[in-house]
Amino acid sequence: MEPEKKADAPFNAKDLIKPKRFLGLHVDKQNIIKWFFGSNAGVTIVVLFLIMFFLAREGVGFLPTYQWELSVYRLAGLEFCDYVEKPISEQVAMHSKLKRALGAELNTVSKVDRDRRDAALLAKSRIEDKVTLQTEPLQEALKAKAPPEKTDPLRVALTQATTAAVSTATLPAIFTAEEQIQLKAELSALQPDQAELPPFLKSLMAKSAQKTSEAKLKYAALISTVDAFDDTAEKLTKVHSEIKKIALETKEAANQLHMAEDAKKQLLEAATTAKTEAEKQAFLKDAAATSLAAIDFKVRTQPLRDKLPELEKLIPEYITAIKKAAEGIPENAETPEARKLISQVRTQLPKHLSHVEQCTQLMRDWDYAKPVPITQSLTSFLFGGDWITNSSWQDFYGVVPLLTGSCLIALVAMLISMPFSVAAAIYTNQFASLREQDFIKPTIEFIQAIPSVVLGFIGISVLGDLIKSISLLPFLSWVPGFPVQERLNMFNAGLLLAFMAIPTMFSLAEDAINNVPRAFSEASEALGATKLQTVFKVIVPASVSGILAAMLLGLGRIIGETMVVLLVAGNRIAIPDFSDGIGTVFQPAHTLTGIIAQELGEVSRGSSHWQALFMVGILLFCISLIINFFARQVVKRFKFHKS
Amino acid sequence: MVTTYPIMMSTVAPKKAESGVATPPAAAPEVSEMASETSSPVSNAIITVKDMDFCYGAKQAMFNVNLNIATKKVTAFIGPSGCGKSTLLRCFNRINDRIPGAHISKGEVRIKGKNINEEDVDLAQLRRQVGMVFQRSNPFPKSIYENVAYGLRVHGESRKSVLDTAVERCLTHAALWSELKDRLNANAMGLSGGQQQRLCIARAIATEPDILLMDEPCSALDPIATSKIEELIFQLSNDYTVVIVTHSMQQARRVADDTAFFYLGKLIEFAPTMEIFSNPRQKQTEAYVRGQFS
Ligand SMILES: Nc1ncnc2c1ncn2[C@@H]1O[C@H](COP(=O)(O)OP(=O)(O)OP(=O)(O)O)[C@@H](O)[C@H]1O
Ligand SMILES: [Mg+2]
Repeated sequence: MEPEKKADAPFNAKDLIKPKRFLGLHVDKQNIIKWFFGSNAGVTIVVLFLIMFFLAREGVGFLPTYQWELSVYRLAGLEFCDYVEKPISEQVAMHSKLKRALGAELNTVSKVDRDRRDAALLAKSRIEDKVTLQTEPLQEALKAKAPPEKTDPLRVALTQATTAAVSTATLPAIFTAEEQIQLKAELSALQPDQAELPPFLKSLMAKSAQKTSEAKLKYAALISTVDAFDDTAEKLTKVHSEIKKIALETKEAANQLHMAEDAKKQLLEAATTAKTEAEKQAFLKDAAATSLAAIDFKVRTQPLRDKLPELEKLIPEYITAIKKAAEGIPENAETPEARKLISQVRTQLPKHLSHVEQCTQLMRDWDYAKPVPITQSLTSFLFGGDWITNSSWQDFYGVVPLLTGSCLIALVAMLISMPFSVAAAIYTNQFASLREQDFIKPTIEFIQAIPSVVLGFIGISVLGDLIKSISLLPFLSWVPGFPVQERLNMFNAGLLLAFMAIPTMFSLAEDAINNVPRAFSEASEALGATKLQTVFKVIVPASVSGILAAMLLGLGRIIGETMVVLLVAGNRIAIPDFSDGIGTVFQPAHTLTGIIAQELGEVSRGSSHWQALFMVGILLFCISLIINFFARQVVKRFKFHKS
Repeated sequence: MVTTYPIMMSTVAPKKAESGVATPPAAAPEVSEMASETSSPVSNAIITVKDMDFCYGAKQAMFNVNLNIATKKVTAFIGPSGCGKSTLLRCFNRINDRIPGAHISKGEVRIKGKNINEEDVDLAQLRRQVGMVFQRSNPFPKSIYENVAYGLRVHGESRKSVLDTAVERCLTHAALWSELKDRLNANAMGLSGGQQQRLCIARAIATEPDILLMDEPCSALDPIATSKIEELIFQLSNDYTVVIVTHSMQQARRVADDTAFFYLGKLIEFAPTMEIFSNPRQKQTEAYVRGQFS
């Protein structure tokens, strides 16, 4: 019956046409919703592009500015001076190492007695401080040549006070019990007008002096070597500081001129937009008044070139001197510290000598007018080994020290966090009971809730000391880099970053493992594989793309993290000394993110330093982009066709 | 009332004809009735299920099942959806252990006379001897070669020559060798559905099991792939005991020597295939095989 009724109804195409009105507008409701969602995605993308645009705009100005600074560096002759500067600073560094080695050696003989003397003298001066109230009247009385009957009561009072002070004082254990008693007795009896020190104190002084001279005698050869080493560069340094002064003056003049040019340009601009004729004339007059006398760099650098013959003479002299001085460096040393320092100097020396030899040729070839290549600013930014700012000499913006810091810290963090997060993910997904899962997952994810500044605080207050005291354990001395010199170092930062990255990596890796179809593990088990075999032969290979992507995203987080590295990495801007091998990670470093956070607040807006920091930001952005790109590639590459 | 088909009878049954047409054991009806409610274990019953109840947690899925499956025959499980065919099949290699809470609450399953749920059973060996093919083909996302070699590898075989011969033998057996011998290193995920399912069969027989369990192996395949697999099953029954779950009456008729009909977790009837389809003893069986089931 029903079908028949339908057939009877007349055709009506009206209900096939969709209603045109929504909220009184002639639009389709579906379309509005579509637009809404589409515009949300669009806004996000637009904001992203805006950020990229502003970052690029601030950063790109860096290249011409830096290019200009580098060309002035050459024109004004600072470059010329730095050819000499480099060997000199190397020499200074080696000398200070030798001095430290010498100190360590001398200590083997003289330290004990010197410490005893110093401890006794310290105790003496402490007690004297406590009894100044009683000492002063006595001294005045003595000065006034008062008769003994006047001074005697004062002496008694002083002795009483001293005795009281001595009785509360504690002496270090480097004195035996008897010595302590003797020393206390002597200290209690001290008088301000005493001509000589009491016998025990005197003997301590004498012993220490004797030991010191003994030490000096024993290590006379080393002492004279170190002194000779120090003297070698004396003349060079003098000439160097003379030419430095000249170069700096030229640079200052160039800077002044540059500023004047800017000012003039601004005045002229202001003149074109000035409202009244009078104003315009005033601007033009000011502009005309700014003198733009060109700097004749040739004349100004002439004194530098004039010094060349002298330098050419001094350098071979220096080389022979330092070679001679170096002959006196002993083959071996008694203390391990001295041994280490001396061997460092020994390895540095040949390199140093070749630098010195090169330096003559460099100075000869130097030409103030040689154009600075157009790519110089970019290459010296990307590959420059110095990040020097606010320098009275020359600023350099080379990111290599920051980049190596960031990379090493990331490496440490990845090496620690990868095994932990993958193992935790595998365990949680494959082996844990439901109840364990309910505990493990939220707990690990909770780590994300810890503010990074709090972690940094823990790194400073707990982890740094912990690492340092562990590294002092004698049975761990075989670990490279132990004992650790600095509490705040790359390892410490890497450890905390690993901890921070684990939740991200764990969650994503766990998801990846969870996405492996149950059918795979079922098939594997049906073939008689054990749980472990199933996990390692089927589940992990099937989820390897997801796991790798998780690791890469974790890496992105590690590279981008700022607060922890700023607080914990030690912030030393220098390329780490890789001669320590794996122990390099126990050195402090600065990072790309840390430098931005630290310096951006202090620089003046628009300066080359400010722009350089934006360039660092762009570099970071590119690194993140590359990591993301690889994460995508990895996912694509290893993806299996889901059936 | 539960009626079971006594395996005893199959001993007197003629061996499968060479022609390829499955001949059901000549079952004498009167003997069958005499055999009463339970099937007594017979010398050539490779799987024996005795008074078995099965539960998923608190929910009972199988009720008092008694069943003897004869060696080197094809046995089909039929029945409406949800009647417990898969559940029973999955008891034979204890793959149900994967499901939390699933357990046999009463009775026992014996394979070659050994109760497989006892403590001392080596699960890896059990599963090596009782292979399984799943309803949906599930090759590993590895190469074709590695898929077939997997079973041997997990049992500690790593000699290349042994693996090579096993892969060739199994792929030949699964009628895949000529198609795939040039692309053994290709990813198995790139095969067609039918090829994947045959690969899964090849994988399952690589460990040379005695028993092969198949849970609706053709349900996702087209008729041509299905007929290939049926041919394969027929071939396999020369060497293996095959237990197959199927929803297709025709398929059961074509491949099975014996057929068991389940309903609501109970074994209703178990008899030679011919008998089930031509002369069912139970009303429910008759209704089901005639397609009049409601
Ligand atoms: N993992 C499980 N947990 C709980 N109950 C289950 C589970 N698997 C199956 N069951 C139940 O056990 C009963 C038997 O299921 P089973 O999968 O054995 O049926 P089947 O005969 O194979 O059906 P189909 O023909 O649809 O595959 C069903 O009632 C089902 O709901
Ligand atoms: Mg099923």
